Amino acid sequence: MPELSYREAVRDALATAMRQDDGVFIMGEDIAEMGGSMGVTSGMLEEFGRERVRNTPISEMALAGAAIGAALQGMRPVAEIMYEDFMTLAAEQVVNQAAKLRYMSGGQLTVPVVFRTQGGAGWSPGAQHAQQLEAWFVHIPGLKVVFASTPEDVRGLLWSAIYDDNPVVFFEHRTLYGIKGDVPEKIEPIPIGKARVHRRGEDVTVIATGRLVHESLAAAEEAEKQGVSVEVVDPRTLQPLDEETLVASVKKTNRAVVAHEAVTRMGFGAEVASVLQYQAFDWLDAPIERVGAKFSPLPFAPVMEQFVVPHMEDVLEAIMRTVGRGN
Amino acid sequence: MVDECHRTNHKLRAVAKVETKTSLAKGDLRDVLREMLLIRRFEEKVEERFRAGELPGFLHVAIGQEACAVGVCRALEDGDIIASTHRAHGHTLAKGTHPNELMAELYGKTEGCSHGYGGSMHLYDVERGNMGANAVIGGGLPHITGAALAFQMRGEPRVALAFFGDGATNIGTFHESLNLAQLWKVPAVFVLEDNKWAESTPESQHSPIRDLSERAKAFGMKALKADGQDVEAVYKTARQALDHARSGKGPVFVHLDCVRLHGHYIGDPQVYRDKDEARKLAETRDPITLLRGKLELSDEEFEELDVEVTEIVEASVEFAKNGTDPAPEDALKNIYA
Amino acid sequence: MESGTIVRWLKSEGEPVAKGEPLYELDTDKVTQEVEAEASGVLLKIAVAEGEVEVGRTIAFIGKEGETVAVEAPAPQPKGPDTETVSDTVPEPKRVSEPTTNGRIKASPLARRLARERGIDLASLRGSGPEGRIVAQDVESPAPAAARPASPVASGEVQSQPLSNIRRTIARRLTEAWTVPAFMLTVSADMTRANELVARRRELEPDVRVTVTDLLTRVCAQALVRHPGMNVQYTEDALLSFPNANVGIAVAAPQGLVVPVVHNAEQLSLSQIAQARGDLVGRARDAKLRAEDLEGGTFTISNLGMFEVDQFVAVLNRPQASILAVGATRDQVVPVDGDLHVLPMMTMTLTCDHRAVDGATGAEFLKTIKTFLEDPGLAL
Repeated sequence: MPELSYREAVRDALATAMRQDDGVFIMGEDIAEMGGSMGVTSGMLEEFGRERVRNTPISEMALAGAAIGAALQGMRPVAEIMYEDFMTLAAEQVVNQAAKLRYMSGGQLTVPVVFRTQGGAGWSPGAQHAQQLEAWFVHIPGLKVVFASTPEDVRGLLWSAIYDDNPVVFFEHRTLYGIKGDVPEKIEPIPIGKARVHRRGEDVTVIATGRLVHESLAAAEEAEKQGVSVEVVDPRTLQPLDEETLVASVKKTNRAVVAHEAVTRMGFGAEVASVLQYQAFDWLDAPIERVGAKFSPLPFAPVMEQFVVPHMEDVLEAIMRTVGRGN
Repeated sequence: MVDECHRTNHKLRAVAKVETKTSLAKGDLRDVLREMLLIRRFEEKVEERFRAGELPGFLHVAIGQEACAVGVCRALEDGDIIASTHRAHGHTLAKGTHPNELMAELYGKTEGCSHGYGGSMHLYDVERGNMGANAVIGGGLPHITGAALAFQMRGEPRVALAFFGDGATNIGTFHESLNLAQLWKVPAVFVLEDNKWAESTPESQHSPIRDLSERAKAFGMKALKADGQDVEAVYKTARQALDHARSGKGPVFVHLDCVRLHGHYIGDPQVYRDKDEARKLAETRDPITLLRGKLELSDEEFEELDVEVTEIVEASVEFAKNGTDPAPEDALKNIYA
Repeated sequence: MESGTIVRWLKSEGEPVAKGEPLYELDTDKVTQEVEAEASGVLLKIAVAEGEVEVGRTIAFIGKEGETVAVEAPAPQPKGPDTETVSDTVPEPKRVSEPTTNGRIKASPLARRLARERGIDLASLRGSGPEGRIVAQDVESPAPAAARPASPVASGEVQSQPLSNIRRTIARRLTEAWTVPAFMLTVSADMTRANELVARRRELEPDVRVTVTDLLTRVCAQALVRHPGMNVQYTEDALLSFPNANVGIAVAAPQGLVVPVVHNAEQLSLSQIAQARGDLVGRARDAKLRAEDLEGGTFTISNLGMFEVDQFVAVLNRPQASILAVGATRDQVVPVDGDLHVLPMMTMTLTCDHRAVDGATGAEFLKTIKTFLEDPGLAL
């Protein structure tokens, strides 16, 4: 099987779609010559030209809104919002417009737009350049929200997002761009709304997203050495959520840990925990643990950032607490 | 009777395009007047029905701005699209939505153009090129830039046109959308219906400059001006703008100087407005009165038109009242494609 | 009952107490039980920490915070131990972390479900989870109860387990009962119609689950009404006669034999009896019987039919004058008008206190029971 980095996998999905489909084009800040601030669109200007690889001014509302306008006219634009934090600027168009146009028009309009963005801490980017805001967008009816954590998943899911007729907020994780993974020879679309079980186990289910998928897999290895068998599941799509897979896993193991890099309080994990509590109540042998960032903006100094952001050890501690061996 | 009248308007519109493109043919002016009068009577009826407690939500009527809507929309070609504002009834009717469908939407019926999902500020008629009213000031502007981009990329001879008010020229999307449109030279037209009021705030209190078309010039965009109460002038200017944009020369800003004769919303007592000034404007700047004067219509002739359009409006209320309420569970449909 | 033994206090001095909250554990004639506080307030003082206490003695004071307590003064309070009670708490006073919080047992939802499904009393389990929480593992492989120090057992040695209070009490009372001059009468009844009735009732009212015991209770109550000479008790000074048939039903609860009473059974319909019985037996098994559930019985039914016992003799439940021992219903070949029929026959033995009841009275009573069982319409 060929190997691609997460970054290359995103590019592959975009470029392949653009090659076969004139209606697909990309727009965003610095995506042309520079190839994007994260280097995702590197080389695409050369292949597709300025018409279809469009640098925009720093105008998140126009960027998001124009993408919506083009999508309304039947194109499939993929707008890149440079940092997840700037989704706050694009939010009016994403939340008030894209999410609701189909509904308000009584079904007349279709909005096949993708908003790609990335976030992630661990490199002292500071409070305004590393937020994980998926909780905001999973809360908006009309939006689909995807967060893949491996090269294979990000490629297959971006493809599906491009060809989904609904507005999709597509989160990537900055620290994962460099990770490599096996991918199928040809792009295999991954259905939006299906979770993936990375590792099977018997004692605890860890439901993780983004970077925390990898932290959780590492924690699972450690737990194994201590005699605890851990199952790791990545929902991959946050909205719609694959409740069936998650609940089935927890009914099997009787214990759950939900892990994400976003702030724990009022986060995506809270909804997952609530769903599990409701549907697997009589199967729970321990309270559901949530692992996430502490409730503070992201500090700059590395030691403070390290403290706030969740790591493998936090997942491991949560795992051990569920089996009654923690503090 | 209703359908005939409506069809006639459209037929004449097509004829008008063939015969006289750059300005309205004299023979059409009577129909233009009828169209403006239809909007006027429709809006008056909406005010009446709202005060009777029959219409849910809140509404903004375009009384006084009929010439802007009719003049601009008559200048559009098939395939052109518009995005409107919260004050959308005039644009919606002028773009071709049947009064029945509009009234039904205001009554929240499934026969409404948005099938009851949108209401007054979310009127959509995609088939007729109406990409919708918008409750967020400036919310639709970037969509017009994007639509024009799509036409450009696909090489289609279509123009995307946005209506907005003077209040919207201050919001972020206005600046971002015009900047981007001009940067990419997309076939868009931005029509400012400058009625000098942003809700209750007069222009002098919301803008540091007096001539808002300066804002377009700030982006290097071509700007045209016209008296928004003179439907012929509106048509001519809109036609000019559309031709320019359609030819690939880039977007155009059309600044229409118009008058909002009533309040911001139905029931607005306009405590903030000089009553004398308002009365004078009603006497001297009513676009219907002005066109009627130009055509030198007799009272009987005007009466005839009035009766015609009033019947259409009343029929639309009947149609709406007899319409179908959506099932409550329908609320969960149309969320996702 | 003349005295009880305070095992331990569930609240400490200075702690707030709510009315109805378990306050202390008490060993009585029958069993160890939790005694609830009769008032809300603060537990100001514990006068008797543990040990045997005679009925009527003040053992603690509950009042308002800051109130001073005069040791002799009767402050508003905890009940004196003057009631017969049957309830049980986990016999593990030495355990480090209690799974109870304010009387509520801490157990995971999974553990609760497993315990429910297996009919295991959560109160009898030890929790190995955080803060003493009972988790699934504790239900599936419960830790052995370390209630009394048991001597280490090497194979082949005799084990010696000190007597619990319950065991002691049972021993004492049965010995006393054995000294009463008693006679026994045996009869067998054709249960055909009785079984039909029970089956039909269950069909009509599946939620109520009428049993043969319920029917027996109804029948005996009606029989007691017709034979008031049976509803009596012998005392040294007088023969006591009771207006109501309070029928006790012997139940083998986890903590030992208990006899909860269906009061005024003669006034209750079969369904009502079934509901009362269901409630009492359920609570007996959960160790949640209250004093009044065990008081006032005038007659007792002991049914060992479910254990396939054909017939047995029950020991009198003093001070009651009689007790009915019921065996299993078995198909038997019975001659009826010269023909052999196979009928479901149930054998019952009535034990009577001869000081209160004569042979004829007992025999007539037993005959009525048989008649009612064979023709239940008569008793309903």
